Amino acid sequence: MMIEINSVNKIYNEGTPQAFEALKSIDMHIDEGEAIVLSGVSGSGKSTLLSLIAGLDKPSSGKIIVDGELISKLPDLHASAYRAKTVGVIFQHFNLLESLSVEENVMATLIPSGFDMITIQEMTRKSMALASISHKATTDVKSLSGGEKQRCAIARALVHEPKLILCDEPTANLDRANSLKFIEILHSLHNMGKTIIVATHDPLFESLSFVRRVIHMRDGAIGNE
Amino acid sequence: MNEILLSNEVIVYLLSETLLYLLLFIAFLVTLGLLKKWNFNAFTAEQFILENRSYLVMTIIFFVILLKVVLLPYFVYTIDNLSDLIPGAMCGAGVIKANGYGNPLLILKIIILFLSGLWLTVNSIDLGAKNYPYLKLKSWFFVFIFILLSTEFALDILYFTHIETSNPVSCCSVIFGQIGGANGLPFGLDIPKLMILFYLLFLLLVLAILADNALLTIVASILFASISYYAVVYVFGTYIYELPTHQCPFCMLQDHYYYIGYLVWGLLFLGVFFAIDSAIMYYFFKINSKALKKISLILLGLFVLLSSAYIAVYYIKNGVFL
Repeated sequence: MMIEINSVNKIYNEGTPQAFEALKSIDMHIDEGEAIVLSGVSGSGKSTLLSLIAGLDKPSSGKIIVDGELISKLPDLHASAYRAKTVGVIFQHFNLLESLSVEENVMATLIPSGFDMITIQEMTRKSMALASISHKATTDVKSLSGGEKQRCAIARALVHEPKLILCDEPTANLDRANSLKFIEILHSLHNMGKTIIVATHDPLFESLSFVRRVIHMRDGAIGNE
Repeated sequence: MNEILLSNEVIVYLLSETLLYLLLFIAFLVTLGLLKKWNFNAFTAEQFILENRSYLVMTIIFFVILLKVVLLPYFVYTIDNLSDLIPGAMCGAGVIKANGYGNPLLILKIIILFLSGLWLTVNSIDLGAKNYPYLKLKSWFFVFIFILLSTEFALDILYFTHIETSNPVSCCSVIFGQIGGANGLPFGLDIPKLMILFYLLFLLLVLAILADNALLTIVASILFASISYYAVVYVFGTYIYELPTHQCPFCMLQDHYYYIGYLVWGLLFLGVFFAIDSAIMYYFFKINSKALKKISLILLGLFVLLSSAYIAVYYIKNGVFL
């Protein structure tokens, strides 16, 4: 899962007085199986970059190629297929369906995939085990603690077995113990060969053994590595 | 202002057409920009804006076309209702002939709907690919359709503003030539020959679809649609009305005949459209759509069955043909 980013710019509200340049000429190369951390203060462009790599948004100009596929120009239909097949995203606010159980949240991702129910249940069970949340499978998400919600979000992100894991401020709402637990899960995913990009300003991520690079972002540009 | 323009159906129809035309006009302007500046291989800000705009504008065109599909039967319903206001008119046939704009307008609407359907096919093939391979083709195609749409819009206005409620018009019996015994069939056909031709062309069309012969499918579809028009007006219609001298394509759209005309003409139009559509997909885009062919065969089969059923039921009930 090699990622190539060339001269990527992202301007919000382009052509209006409120125009904001979120990313400025970003160039980046990420190897297959590499774990990297994008660090920087709020507004530095980390989340914008993640959303472009995830195919959730398109750049204003430039190229993003993931595994040979030109993501930055994918029509919406194909961008959805790319996300469903290749990317698992873990959001800061989890983005879970509160009224559904953990199992249902994880399973929901696979419903449009066309797998039969037995396969879906098997993949769900495997993913929940990987995220250490199997014991809460039938519990409604609204009754979970912050750490448990995060593990549910991890299980959901992993259930379709993506090669690329993107985490946007994954520990911002967690205490230290849950943050360490999250890092442990991330480590095991890295050992499984997943390519991992974490956008965070949590200092816990800066000295992890499995993280090859910490890329500092500032005002939409890449600073030092 | 004349009574026609104050009719509820005409007000709704003209307002809808105006709003849709405005949307299409905006789409047209954006499409011209796309045609001028599009370069998929560029990674510039301008190209990214064009890609976003293209998606928006194609979505607008898509929904407007879907609404236009609904507006065609509504137009027919509207002119049929206007027959109450125009002296001499018994159905839409008289109303459409109320001035010189009616017939060209109706024919243009059918052509536009057909071309729009083809545009939807090209659009879906283009959106199914990752690199917009047919964007320029479908944009030029839309420009062409837009020219027709502009003509249609002008004809809409001219037609409805030039219907005189004080001048009597002819009823369908006069228009379709039964009074005085005139034969309205083309190429010197009589009814038995017309029926033989109708069923033979249906068979040919079915075989062409099943054999994946795209060119033959297109030719057979056009021939079958033309002969079907005459078969419905001059044969099947008389069994719907149960009156041999009543030969009209419009009266069967009325409540007196349970609006069966919408089903008859709808099945024919859609069946022929999907046949041609599947043939074009196969011939130009090398896509063999079994679903489209199946839909076409079902619709055409239902059309032939439904039309023939009127004759069979009449014969069973009365022991004679009309």
